[in-house]
Amino acid sequence: MAEPTADALAAHGTETRRDFLRLLAVAGGAIGVGAIAWPLIEALNPDAAGLEAARPVVLVSDIAENATKTVQWGGQTILIRRLTDQQLAAAQIVPMSALVDPQEVSERVAPDDGHIVVVIGMNTGAPCALQGSAPGDPRGDYGGWVSPCDGSEYDALGRVRAGPAPRNLAIPRFRFIDKHQLQLG
Amino acid sequence: MQSEAKQGVACPYLIKDRAPGGAWHATLPTLLGALLALLLASGAVLAVYYNPRDAYGAVQMINREVNGGWLVLGYHNTGASLAFLALYAQLFRLLLTRGYRGPARFAWMLWVKLLAVLLLSGWLGFVLQGGAGGALSLTHASDAALTLPGFPGAVALWIFGGPSGPGTLARLLVFHVLLAACPVWVICWARCAARRARPAPEGRAVAFWPVYASQYFAALAALALFFTLLLAFAPHWGQSAQAMLPGDVLPMVISYPWYLQPVAHLAGLIPGDGGAILVVILAAATLYALPWLDRSNGAPPGRLYRGLTLLLGLDVLALGWASAPVLQIIFGIWFFIHFLVLTPLVTAAEAK
Repeated sequence: MAEPTADALAAHGTETRRDFLRLLAVAGGAIGVGAIAWPLIEALNPDAAGLEAARPVVLVSDIAENATKTVQWGGQTILIRRLTDQQLAAAQIVPMSALVDPQEVSERVAPDDGHIVVVIGMNTGAPCALQGSAPGDPRGDYGGWVSPCDGSEYDALGRVRAGPAPRNLAIPRFRFIDKHQLQLG
Repeated sequence: MQSEAKQGVACPYLIKDRAPGGAWHATLPTLLGALLALLLASGAVLAVYYNPRDAYGAVQMINREVNGGWLVLGYHNTGASLAFLALYAQLFRLLLTRGYRGPARFAWMLWVKLLAVLLLSGWLGFVLQGGAGGALSLTHASDAALTLPGFPGAVALWIFGGPSGPGTLARLLVFHVLLAACPVWVICWARCAARRARPAPEGRAVAFWPVYASQYFAALAALALFFTLLLAFAPHWGQSAQAMLPGDVLPMVISYPWYLQPVAHLAGLIPGDGGAILVVILAAATLYALPWLDRSNGAPPGRLYRGLTLLLGLDVLALGWASAPVLQIIFGIWFFIHFLVLTPLVTAAEAK
């Protein structure tokens, strides 16, 4: 086996050094460009105030039993009601055949808190804000909400029970952050 | 003539013939290009949040509420400062080495166009900040432009849309953005023109990679370091303090960013708002005509010419610095004397 010549060794050394320099230059350049670009990309993310407005946090632990909290979110009125045990028990025995838009109680209450109902306060018949949230409001025969426009009546779970409205009240996207607060969106 | 006509076509030498000649100042156009790219990128982000109907409030909002908004504003402010520094240095270098003669004449004219575009864009940027100085400067400029007779007046009316009011900044924002896109094109064009003007290398050419590439890389790294230091320790260096005041404050005298100051003081040479516009146009035309004012006929720059060019550089710095009107007039007149009287005489004498 022949020994490598001095020239070949020198050329080999140059190649390695040049490769290393190239690597260093490309890596340094990439890091530099990345460092410059990072704030520009970050600046296009929404700020904390924007996110806060987009996904508001609502305190629900201060809602009394059978009382409703009203929140404005994304141009909609969100109604949050804490049900009593009697209301829940009464809702359980309603047969599905008596409902216009059949849904189980478990589908209507919040997954993390069986006493909390969160609905969008918009009648599903004639577009109309609902009555039944404020203390003196009429709640109709079913103890929920009534529409002053077409006379539709909802029960405490937001299921339509009477009137021209075809569907139950819509449930917005939300999740419980802890047992006291939920976040919409 | 033929070579000039051919400058317009796409440059085929983008990779092959980029040898900058080894001098550090040969990297200035590249640095300017990098800074302009940064200005475009940060400007695009700022445009997302900017509101011309409430310019001052929008800048405050970007500073305080946008994620890293203060840094993006800093990119744009410091980037503009350094872009002008690079452009002024490049023009000075071309003056000192007579890089505007012969085949490089076309490149020189492009550099002067770039100066005009960047100055206009820089002024628009100053106005768009919605500060006290910018608001008053805009009032002066629109008033002056609207009193122009005939066709120029009609163009001014079209640009400003009448006397400066709530809608004016919305228009100027569009012009600022459109003008910002021009330099990228002009700078590529100027590089191609300069490259074509350079004589073909004799003997074996040196490969671009890695000899010259490392030079550019070192220059960019030095720029990044300088940029960072300026941004961190002197973010408002050379900026107009009046840009920080709300637009309803009326200052006695407008203070511009440092890169607009020499032009603003030069404009005071002829009194009146119309006179100011005339002086600026004359100054640009003088720079544009420099290849014809130079009578050297290909002779290398002599000692007297170089001395006078250095003096011109000091004169422009002093013009920006001087606050006394008398000094501004003296320095401003010297600018024109240098180009219109001394340059033809000295270059002709040195050519003999």
